[in-house]
Amino acid sequence: MAFLNPAKKTWGISLGPSAYRLVGLVILLAALAWRVNNVLSLQSYTAQYWTLQLINGLILGGLYALVAMGYTLVYGILLMINFAHGEVMMIGGFAGYFALTGFQTLGWTNGTPFESGLSVVLALLVGMLASLIAGIALERIAYRPLRNAPRLVPLISAVGASFFLQYTVLLIFGVTPHYYQKPAIISSGLSVGDTGVFISYTGLFIFFSSIFLMLMLYLIVSRSKMGRAMRSVAESKEISALMGVNVDKVIVFTFALGSVLAGAAGVMLGLHNTVMKFNSGFFPGIKAFTAAVIGGIGNLPGALLGAFSLGILEAVGPSALGLPSEYKDVIAFSVLILVLIFRPTGILGEVLSEGKA
Amino acid sequence: MSKKLFSLMALLTIASLALAACGPAPTATTAPAEGGLLMGMDQAELEAAGYVVYAPGEPIRIGISSGLTGPIPDLGLDTANGALLAFDDVNAAGGLMGHMYESDLQDGACDGDQGTVVGNLFAADPSIVAVQGGLCTGETIGLRAIMEEARIPLVSASSTFPGVTAPEWTVMNRTPLPDTLQADVDAAYIYNDLGITSIALIHDSGEYGLGLAELIQGSFEALGGTVTSINGHQVGDTDFRSTLTTIGTEGAGLIFFGGYATEAGLIASQMGEAGLTDVIFMSGDGALTEQYIDAAGAAAEGTYVSTGVGDLNVDAAAEFDAKYEAKFGSAPDGPYHYHAYDAIMMIAAAIEQVAQTDEGGEGYLIIEREALITAIRSTSGFPGITGTLTCTEIGDCSAGGIAIYVVQDGAFVQVSGFGLTD
Repeated sequence: MAFLNPAKKTWGISLGPSAYRLVGLVILLAALAWRVNNVLSLQSYTAQYWTLQLINGLILGGLYALVAMGYTLVYGILLMINFAHGEVMMIGGFAGYFALTGFQTLGWTNGTPFESGLSVVLALLVGMLASLIAGIALERIAYRPLRNAPRLVPLISAVGASFFLQYTVLLIFGVTPHYYQKPAIISSGLSVGDTGVFISYTGLFIFFSSIFLMLMLYLIVSRSKMGRAMRSVAESKEISALMGVNVDKVIVFTFALGSVLAGAAGVMLGLHNTVMKFNSGFFPGIKAFTAAVIGGIGNLPGALLGAFSLGILEAVGPSALGLPSEYKDVIAFSVLILVLIFRPTGILGEVLSEGKA
Repeated sequence: MSKKLFSLMALLTIASLALAACGPAPTATTAPAEGGLLMGMDQAELEAAGYVVYAPGEPIRIGISSGLTGPIPDLGLDTANGALLAFDDVNAAGGLMGHMYESDLQDGACDGDQGTVVGNLFAADPSIVAVQGGLCTGETIGLRAIMEEARIPLVSASSTFPGVTAPEWTVMNRTPLPDTLQADVDAAYIYNDLGITSIALIHDSGEYGLGLAELIQGSFEALGGTVTSINGHQVGDTDFRSTLTTIGTEGAGLIFFGGYATEAGLIASQMGEAGLTDVIFMSGDGALTEQYIDAAGAAAEGTYVSTGVGDLNVDAAAEFDAKYEAKFGSAPDGPYHYHAYDAIMMIAAAIEQVAQTDEGGEGYLIIEREALITAIRSTSGFPGITGTLTCTEIGDCSAGGIAIYVVQDGAFVQVSGFGLTD
């Protein structure tokens, strides 16, 4: 069951002199716990503060998760990191921006709640469609001709495709950022009683739509015929082909699934941070890739777990460690390094068929 | 099919070679054989001795480095346009001794690395006599080192970080006011006029943004105010909620941001989500452009932006605005177009002082680099749009003071500071 089940590896440490490693891990965790304890006893952060940061983290996590799904799906099938995935997301973000601008001239975004809501959903769909086209074109042009080349070749092609897409968008849409205008229905937020906890409707929308989309993805992969074909191709392309699975079709479908989720994430990112420019996909892409690796690449529940852990760590981590929030990236990538040292296959384990492992 | 493609590519290659050959490469063959141009030296010898030589009819070339890409492309274009307009005016006045002025606009990307790239480009071109730029402090610092080495005078119209000019940088001059004054005036406005005694600072970790934030901290604490925290971000960051949530626990009455338009706008728009609805937002000259209002949306209303403004020559400024709109199709938008215009005019005035003709009277124009560096630095009482400019011994040539604006109905309205008439 590629994609879905945690790897059947034990939690033991797989490389090097494991006793030293274990001791190191224990010392490190103890030091961290000591630091957090010290900071918490000195700082007087309230429950309201932690709740607000947790909400920030959950929204970020939802966005990372959608993008991380694409990395992990493609890796599961082709054993390749699609480094242009962030750009596929950025293209969706741009498409969503133009759709919303169009709806704005129609007066929908600030019209009745129904019109306003419809404009958000339609913008999301337009973004997903644009990313779908970009993702499929990417597979056809940049990856398919290199399918049988050594593993590094498509990786280099992916990096090239990433730059190509970024600078094509730069040429077409210019260097000035495009600023999203939030539709009226999601522009305000929700105050929870008199606790001082505030959740923006955009945040709620992002969190619940990302959960919904990932649920759909889970159902497709686990229940549909195509999902079964995907899992079988992930096990072995050759044997699946012998069993009558159209491998090319399955690979295109995998890219399509990942790209649609990335497109949704692009529009949500635009709505959340209200800015989209040619390199807007690059850093979120790297972060989502990090999330996928932390969770265990090639593994859908792992990507989900990794993405939410990363989002929450970025939001809560700096305060808990008594650092300024500019250190959030340091914390994110430190966690990546620690995971790679102590559990190289990610928290839930890399999912590989026995033939590939 | 592929043969066609090949021949097309070959054609393009040849065409590009031919074009490159047409570039402004000075040719020794046109120099007169006997006697030389000046002091018995021919063109190549003069160039080696630190002179710029223009053959008859060749334009006087001045480089411009502005951040046409990078974080503030709109502001960069506006500043470059101000400089370009000056070329039209000096050429309409007949140029200099039969030589027209020509601009060479390059993209410094508001970035130190790209500033170095542009600097090397200018330094390698013997026909570049002076450079106007760069837009951002980092970019200017990158340019500065190379210009110093190449002995090309440099006049920035927008780099406000105090350390940009210093005694050891003999070629470096600027027309805007340094941030020390901006920090003092802003801090006094926050403390005295707004009556706020505790502020939080955010900066973009760049030379300009961090520099301004630290200066504000110094000035504000000197007045007796408290700075609750100083928070770093990066140019290009889009999510400031985590920082803002932390600031929310500190009880600051105002957030001051040192950095550029997009980040400033995003912070302003995300403050509401972090529950900072009654905290005031203020930023510096790096954000004074429409791009800031676009980025912040409705949240821009009631936020403050400060900038150095010249002691404006109102008539000259109105004339400039009309020409600008006629040439570029839009009204000037940003704090530094006048400063850029003045920078070019100042360079042109200095060139006029030191330019010589060749001894044979054939129409060569010869400029000694060291003399031009000295001439620009000793600019005194120069009538610019931004006021009467006199350079200090380290190259600060600005006039005027600091103005503070508030955003009202999507436009910047001045509320305090220099040049406010009521």
